[in-house]
Amino acid sequence: MEHMVRGVDHAAFPTFDPAGTVTFYRDVLGFPVVHSICAAGWGPDKHPDFIHFFFDIGNDDRLAFFYYFGLEPFDGGPQGDVYAKFEQHVPIWFIRSRHLAIHVDSERALLEYRRRLDDSKWPVEMQVQHETIESIYTHDPNGYMIEITRALRPVTPQEDLDANLTIDALLDVVSGPDPSMAALLTRKAELIVERAAAWELSNR
Amino acid sequence: MTTLFILDVPENVPVVDVASVDPAVTVDRIGPYFRIASDLPIVIDRRATGCRHAVWYSSVAGLGASRITQWDKDAMRIEPL
Repeated sequence: MEHMVRGVDHAAFPTFDPAGTVTFYRDVLGFPVVHSICAAGWGPDKHPDFIHFFFDIGNDDRLAFFYYFGLEPFDGGPQGDVYAKFEQHVPIWFIRSRHLAIHVDSERALLEYRRRLDDSKWPVEMQVQHETIESIYTHDPNGYMIEITRALRPVTPQEDLDANLTIDALLDVVSGPDPSMAALLTRKAELIVERAAAWELSNR
Repeated sequence: MTTLFILDVPENVPVVDVASVDPAVTVDRIGPYFRIASDLPIVIDRRATGCRHAVWYSSVAGLGASRITQWDKDAMRIEPL
């Protein structure tokens, strides 16, 4: 199949705090406002009037927000963000697994965004570096977890093969009775033996 | 036979190097993977590899008729089924 898509047009999130949101993205991080829509509510279900506004996150990709006039936040647990609230028993690693990661090309850029955040009300909460990536994390005024990340080396072709073998093994084991890492690694070894040698020949 | 596959990317190479110090271990390749095999259990000391945790805990690509009986911050131990 031809792969014709070209990145993220926009990813959209609701906000109850447009002032904080603009301060965070435009004034602290320096992401330009590139588009906005002022829309009167319409339709049969009492849709409120709203502002839909967009920040440029590079590469012509955009991060967008909806602000609804007169709308109050919905109930939920004490954890999470304004869109998804979780009760106390939900583990934090699960909540943090949904986040937005924005790419930068260099250490200089990463450290500059770190400086901008650390000078603001939303300082970097965590900086992680291991052999392949370096990332900084914070939460925006809406509670959304934001990561800024750089790659420490390019992705190699064999990692694309490995990813495909992992996913094929995963689909096999989740269709079985007892999905586990052990089952996946056993199935993946079979796929390596079947396919890896031929892949390397075809990539020379 | 204990058999372990590791993808050939730069940060995984020390894992292979440490495993191959054991004279019972043989290392060959299938495509871009190292195949590490032994008639005995394979034990790899994490500190000897110099790997930090993110790489250490994602360094195994496959297991041939083997199981991991230890995989913590100290070592990885793989034994035949």
